[in-house]
Amino acid sequence: MAESHDHLSCQEVVELATGYLDGALPADDASLFEQHLNFCEGCVWYVEQIKTTVETLGKVREEDIPSEAKDRLMSAFRDWRGS
Amino acid sequence: MAPAQAHPQSALTAADEADLVARLRAGDERAFEALVDRHYAMMLAVARGYVRTRAIAEEVVQEAWLGVLNGIDRFEGRSSLKTWIMRIVVNIAISRGEREARSIPFSSFASEGDEPAVDPDRFREEGEGFPGHWRAYPGNWASLPDDALLGRETLEVIKTAIEDLPPAQRVVITMRDVAGCSPEEVCGALDVSDGNQRVLLHRARSHVRGALERHLDG
Repeated sequence: MAESHDHLSCQEVVELATGYLDGALPADDASLFEQHLNFCEGCVWYVEQIKTTVETLGKVREEDIPSEAKDRLMSAFRDWRGS
Repeated sequence: MAPAQAHPQSALTAADEADLVARLRAGDERAFEALVDRHYAMMLAVARGYVRTRAIAEEVVQEAWLGVLNGIDRFEGRSSLKTWIMRIVVNIAISRGEREARSIPFSSFASEGDEPAVDPDRFREEGEGFPGHWRAYPGNWASLPDDALLGRETLEVIKTAIEDLPPAQRVVITMRDVAGCSPEEVCGALDVSDGNQRVLLHRARSHVRGALERHLDG
């Protein structure tokens, strides 16, 4: 992605954000990414937005199992155990 | 950053897991119930990535639990129990989808939507000076009041944004960010490469961030 650049544009930074946060960027790209954040407040805020998005996604409560579905499963379990 | 640590339901140690498997094999109903409570929502979300309706996805999950019970004696712990369970869901969902000719081609995975993370109009163009740099910076969300992000409305915006995603992106972001799975767990469950799951996660997160931005800054 960074090709032969010695710096990244903001437009490149936003495309590398997920790889950076996963620790999955090649070392050269990761260091260009960090250098960019050192001087670009806009990209610092962008990356913070992505982190906030991830944190907020973690607060989405997964739906509970419907009680009929659970009853059916528990009864399947008893059949299985009895077999 | 370690998002997985924010999700207590994903924090089963190997010893906990071995204990759970032993209790299941011994027919411990409480162990089964705990496992169902823990994984049902994610199983449903994964199944929904492969079949067209929620009703079919629910049937897939029911069938998958029977597969778990019938296969638990053969579970060898080479992957985590969670990954093994999700593989069963995926295999059943795929065969179910094929049988009804209603499967969603997960093989076309990476080609799903190819839009950039951020609208290109928000960056300066060639010839303008500083091409590729922001025209106007994104908002500083740290300056928002706490309840702006945690309010019910914001969570609804996020849920709707997830629902709007193409299926493969929806499955991956649900596993990674809602349920707190590791990249390895996603790869193992969905049989995709690490790079592929990250591309899907990237597009999905970018979409959800955009929806949040319109809601918060709009």
